[in-house]
Parts: sequence; C-alpha cells; structure tokens
Amino acid sequence: MVKKIKNLKEFSLSNDRFEGANLMCPGCSHNIIVREVLNATDDPVIVATATGCLEVCTAVYPKTSWDVSWIHIGFENAAVAAATVSAAYEVMKKKGKLPPATQKMVDEGREPKIVAFAGDGGTYDIGFQSLSGAFERGHNFMYVCLDNEVYANTGGQRSSSTPIGASTTTSPAGSVSYGEKMMKKSMVEIMADHGAPYVAQVSPSKWKDLVKKVQKGFEVYGPVYINAQSACTTEWKHAPEDTIEVSDLGVDSCVWPLYEIINERDEHGIIYSTKLNITYRPKTKIPVEEYLAAQPRFRHLFKPENRHIIDLWQKAVDARWEYLQKREEAGV
Amino acid sequence: MARDLKEIKDINEIKDLGWDELIPGAALFSFTEPVEDVAEVPMEERPYAPTNSHEWQVGDWRVEKPVYNRDLCIDCQFCWVFCPDMSILSRDKKMIGVIYEHCKGCGICVEVCPTNPKSLLMFPEHMDNDEALSMWPKKEEKDK
Amino acid sequence: MAKKYELNEVEVWDGNMAAAHALRQAQVDILAAYPITPSTPIVQNYSKFLADGYVDGEFIMVESEHSAMSGCVAASAAGVRAATATSSQGFALMVEVLYQASGMRLPIVLTVVNRALAAPLNVNGDHSDMYLGRDAGWINLCSYNPQEAYDLTLMAFKIGEDLNVRLPVMVHQDGFICSHTAQNVKPMQDEEAAEFIGEFKPVNSMLDVSNPVTHGVQTEEDWHFEHKARQHHDLMNSVETIKKVFKEFEDRTGRKYDMVYTYKMDDADVAIFALGTTVESAQIAADQMREKGIKAGVVSLRVLRPFPFNEIADVLGNVKAIGVMDRSAPGGTFGAMFNEISAALLARGKSPVVLNYIYGLGGRDTTIEMLKGVYEDLAKSAEAGEAVVPLQQFVGLRGPKLAFY
Repeated sequence: MVKKIKNLKEFSLSNDRFEGANLMCPGCSHNIIVREVLNATDDPVIVATATGCLEVCTAVYPKTSWDVSWIHIGFENAAVAAATVSAAYEVMKKKGKLPPATQKMVDEGREPKIVAFAGDGGTYDIGFQSLSGAFERGHNFMYVCLDNEVYANTGGQRSSSTPIGASTTTSPAGSVSYGEKMMKKSMVEIMADHGAPYVAQVSPSKWKDLVKKVQKGFEVYGPVYINAQSACTTEWKHAPEDTIEVSDLGVDSCVWPLYEIINERDEHGIIYSTKLNITYRPKTKIPVEEYLAAQPRFRHLFKPENRHIIDLWQKAVDARWEYLQKREEAGV
Repeated sequence: MARDLKEIKDINEIKDLGWDELIPGAALFSFTEPVEDVAEVPMEERPYAPTNSHEWQVGDWRVEKPVYNRDLCIDCQFCWVFCPDMSILSRDKKMIGVIYEHCKGCGICVEVCPTNPKSLLMFPEHMDNDEALSMWPKKEEKDK
Repeated sequence: MAKKYELNEVEVWDGNMAAAHALRQAQVDILAAYPITPSTPIVQNYSKFLADGYVDGEFIMVESEHSAMSGCVAASAAGVRAATATSSQGFALMVEVLYQASGMRLPIVLTVVNRALAAPLNVNGDHSDMYLGRDAGWINLCSYNPQEAYDLTLMAFKIGEDLNVRLPVMVHQDGFICSHTAQNVKPMQDEEAAEFIGEFKPVNSMLDVSNPVTHGVQTEEDWHFEHKARQHHDLMNSVETIKKVFKEFEDRTGRKYDMVYTYKMDDADVAIFALGTTVESAQIAADQMREKGIKAGVVSLRVLRPFPFNEIADVLGNVKAIGVMDRSAPGGTFGAMFNEISAALLARGKSPVVLNYIYGLGGRDTTIEMLKGVYEDLAKSAEAGEAVVPLQQFVGLRGPKLAFY
C-alpha cells in the first residue's frame, strides 16, 4: 500500500522503525538513508544487512536497533539473504502458512517489503556476485547500496566505488601519488542492465526524491536497486554537521546525479522499453571543485602538481551528465 | 532452557547472563510482546525490550548539544528528516524537542534549520538549556 | 498440494536419487543449491520432482554454493524448512556460511556427496570435504550406501529441527561409489515420511512481522564465548535426540542405527576403523580374515559430530590392534580419525596398537586385498604387542613406500 507523503510535515508523522542509541558515527548518512527508506512505507519491512558499518553498529549483542525483523549473515551475501527471505515469504504465502499477524497484513493489502542494505564494499566488490545472481533470478526485493565510496568500517580502504583522487588508507596520497587511480564503477547502469524493473540513484539530502523512488521500487514486482550517496564524516573527513551540505554539493555539481532507469516488460517478461529519467536538475551546476574542496579526502588535489586531477574530474562529470541527458532525451 | 529474553524487563538482568541462560543463536528481540502494526505505534507506546537500543543512551558522546527554541521554530521538519539518530521528537507535524538520550551531537539539525535566527543551536553540553535560551542570538542581517 | 509419488516397496536408487527422494518427502520449503559433481543429480532429480508437481516448495538455483548456504540460512531464519546439497569445492566455498548456520542455530539439512579437494582438481570420492567441515558446529551423520543415505537424510530433518537441538545437520555419502551406484532401497511412503519428520516448527521467524527479531548479531569478547559454549553444549547434548530419532525410525522401519557402527566386534582382536563405503568393503575383508583364523572386526561412526567419544572407547578398548583409515590428505600430521580415536582410547586408559592408514585419495580404488593387508599388519602388531609397521602408512600408492613414525 503506497503511503501518502505529500510534504515533509506529512512525512514527519512516520513512526521510525530504526532506533536511536545505535553506534553509528555522529552525522552518518547511512542512518538518514535507512530512516528515509523505512519511513517511505507503513507496510511491514524485513531487512537483510551486509557486514559493514550499519551491521556492526546496530546489532551489537545484547542490543538491536531494529524494530523490524533483521538478518545479517556475511559481507558478500546480503542480496541472496533478502532474495531468499522473499522467496520463503512467497512459498509460505502460497502454502497458506504465514504467521497470523503477517497474513492479516497481507489480507489488508500490506505485503511485507524486503530490503537489503549494504555498503559499496558489500555491493560493488565482495557482494557483487550474490547481487548479480539475485537480480538475474528476479526475486522481489529492494537492494539499497549505502555508497560512501570506501571500506569505512575497516578503516577507510579503497573499494571499486572509490573515485579517482580520493586518499584512502590503501590508496593514500603521497609525495608521488594523488591517491586512488581508478574511476568509480558505474553500478546503476550495471544493475539496470540486469533487466531490473526499477533502478535509481538517490541522495539522502533530497529526501522527497529518495522517498518517491523507494515507493516506486516497492510498487514494482522484481529486484530493485537503489544507489544511495552516503557522505561519510569519518572517511570523507568533513565535519559531522556538514553531511547534508556535502551531499547537496555532490548533487548540485552533478557528481552524484539523481536519476532512475525503468525497464518495462510485457506479459512474456520481454523488456519493451527502457527509460532513463533525470529526477533532479540543479538550478546552477556548481563546479566539481567545490564538492572536492568540502572533503579533506581530496585536499591534496589542490596542490599544483595534482590540479590536473580536478580538471579530469570536471571533464568526467560533464561527460557523464551529458550522457545521462542524451539517454533521457532519446528515451532509452 | 534459556531464559526468554523477551520476558526480561530490566537490562541489568541480562548483563551477567551465563552461557546456559542465553537464547540459542543469539537472537535479539525488539519488543517484550507482539506489536501487530509497528508503523502505527509511536515510540512512547511501544513495549520496548531491554535489548532494544532505544532503551539505552549515547548522550555521553556529545561535547555540544543542540538546544531547541520553540519560539522561533516554523515546524518545517528539516531537523526531523535529516537527524541520523531519530532524536528529533515530532508529533502531529510539530517539533517538540530533542531526545538527548539518543542525540550524539552531530549538529546536522542546526545546519539544516532554515529560520533566522536558527531555532536549534549548539551549546556546551554542561550548559543549562534555560541559560542557553537566554543567550539566543538576534536575527542576522543577510549579506546582499 | 504436492502430488503423491507412487513408490514401490523396493526401489533401485543410487545414493543421489535416494537423497533427492528424502528431500522431496521432507517437502523442503526452500532448496537453494548450486550444481557440483558428484552431488549434482540430487538437485537435478529434485528439480524434476518440482517440474512434475511432486514438490510445493521452491528450488532456487543460485549462482554459487556460498549463496546456496546463505540462502538456506536466510530461509531458515525466515522460519521455513531449508536444505541443499554439495560436494568438495562447493563445500569449501560454503564453509564460511556453515559456521553462520550453526552459530545462528538453524536446522538446515545439507546432503554432502564426499569428494576430494583440489589441487590437483579431482572429481572423485574421498573425505577431504567431510573433514574440512567437521569443526563447523553441525551434526554430521555418515552413510555407507544409498539406503542409509535415504534414511539418514529423513532423520536429519527430525533431529536438527527438534526444539532441544535446533542445529544444522549434514548427511555424508561417498562420491560415485555411493552416489552413483544403484542399489535396492526400501523407502517410506510419502505420507509416512511426512508423518515421521513432522511439520517444520518455526523459531523466531523473521516472517512474523508482529515479533521483530534480529538474527546474526555481533558478539565481542564479553558475549561470544558464552554463545559458543551454549552452542557446543547443545551439540553435545543432541545425542539424546539423535538416539531417540534412531529408535523411532527403527520402530517404523526395522532398520537400526546407533552412534557407532560395529561389525563382528564381540570377539575381535583386530579392527579396521573406516568411514563411508569402505565400511562395507572392510566387512568382506574381515570375513575373509576370519576364514584364516584372524578375529577381525570393523568399526565406523554413524555420527561423526557429536563425536561418540565413550562409545568409540568402549567398542575399540579391548581389541589388540586398530587400523584407522583416513581418506583425506593429513596435511602434516596424522589423519583426523586416528587422532580422535587415539585420544578417546588414551583418555579411557586403553592402549591398543593404533595404526594410521591414508588411503583412497581422489577416488583411488579401495580393494579387499588392500584392506586384508591392513588386517595382516594389525594381526602381526597384535601378536607382538606393539607396532611392527610404521604408525602412518600410505596404502594403494604408486612409488616407494611412504610412511612416517
């Protein structure tokens, strides 16, 4: 059942099912994303979480921060965990053996929503196989990547989501290095190419866009991928209070474009239409430099010998923005 | 058989449990009794289990705390939506206050507050809230 | 509703078909699996049962064994019956999640068709995979033929799901020699099997939205030890349930299972200890040795974990010499069974000669002659009152004799 959320005041009527006194860092975006996702629906939610910050900080015995059923198995299997819970739900529904309280919800048209949360390490890297498999099989669940572009939980090592020039503990900037050498992996397109009915990129700072996309994702049947920008105060090294501002800089510079890809299928499951929609256009596209300057992980790029990386960044972001606009215009 | 964690009301009862008293598989429970529709039940009415982090506190992480000034607030709910720690208490579309047990003092609520002067400001943790309110700054003239 | 599968009183099944029928009769809700030789036919057979309407649950052909076991863990935590099958490298890939399954106390059933571990790559039977998982906190049941693979797979559900146990259970059978060898199997009819196993009893089900539960928590130095102790305690105490289920099964079928399997041990002077299909070969060898006047017997485990420490000491304590056959490369020490059996005997004050034989790696044929050779070593050592051959020998191996100690 789609929850009516016209505006922020209405959204604030939500009763959080994610609890305080968890052990996440002050100012952590992960928490904001989790809240926005869970509050996007009043239907029951069941969560699977990969090993990572969210897992180690919300289920440390003897405390849980979850008011929904939750499971963590390992680092690389959040997708299959959520997918199989979804399959188990469907089997029990078919057999008429759901727990009574759950059956009651289903009868009211409020089917449980099954959501996986994982960081970029658990998504782009070690969990990629499990994620790809679960999407290919078409299970009905939502996978949310909390993308902070680094292995934050283990002390800030680079992942395949770490963008070029970022200094991490395994790609540190030094006298002969500008930090990370590789561009970021294009996870959103990769997941859309699995044929998933709905794939989107979001930022917690644009809460309405995020909630709307999550609601769209809950409405379709099949695997849904949400790539959520998660500014990390610890590893991006900005002040905790600046989380939302840094997120906005990412969005307004088009470093983190907000868009969705919808694959529509006919009754035989054949995709007859793929549409990419840009869901947010900055009024003024700010220079990438401003986004980079707000995060000390890029501080060394402002040295004369590394300035070319900032130029490269701007070129890459412009090219990508151009590409997304072209796809949107072409309706593909 | 293990003691049923769901029946324990006081956190002090579980902190020294021996191996023979644990729930097999280390499962944890959110509530002490079934809650049919969690999304419809506000936190003050939930039967939280002592194993729910809601019953714990992290307020001692703070060096500074956000103080809330009701007189200036326009109930925009920016602080509510961007609070990472479920520490802004809003009811019926009105901002009521800060849940200091869960607030880690990140300061996001202050940053996103749009009023002038702000309706939330950071003050030293040890300062009394009334004293903080008495020191509230005046409206800032925006640079043209 | 799943169709009833018409079964004859006696079917001719190989071990894989036997295991597949047991999984079908258990009406597993989620079977998540990935194919690997020699266990592949289990999931192929199961898929066909599903395609023909004999299964109500779901078969999820995942993209790896790691995901197969992860899927089983999630399904079991969701409160449904979950099972899978694997071998060798697939088993190795599952290992991380085997520990999660037992630590989270989820009664998953895993049918393992034992096969060697690479390198070098090998598809044939030995017990390397079984040994790899022996400390994973699962109940381990061992079969020697398709009938037992069937029986023990049915019993695995009933044992693991018992409310006093709630632990995952592996059922082992030898790759090819059991899994691909058709033999007579007497199955239960579907309704009787269903009645024997009983309905799955969910515990802390994630699907019960009115009772949110957190599975798979973090425990550090202040809690981890207690949880692992609890798990070990419950695994050790599962013996009671295992024996109860064995008895109930015997009452229904007349087929008797015990923690330890023995053959002609009442008056034995020398004994071979082995696992898997070698147990049956050793019986033939023992009979032939008895014709020569050597009182030979055979001992095996029906339950590898929890290890029947006392029973092993009891049945082997009074023989003069024991040959412990380990079908896994020992990796710089004695075979695992040699170590465990020696420990049980020593701790009970028994000191027969115990010899270790490494044999049959990668499916190398285990012949009656080879086993008779072991008995001859044992007879000579028994007579001398001490080992007259090296303590560890590789047998059935080409090249110069390989032995240690």
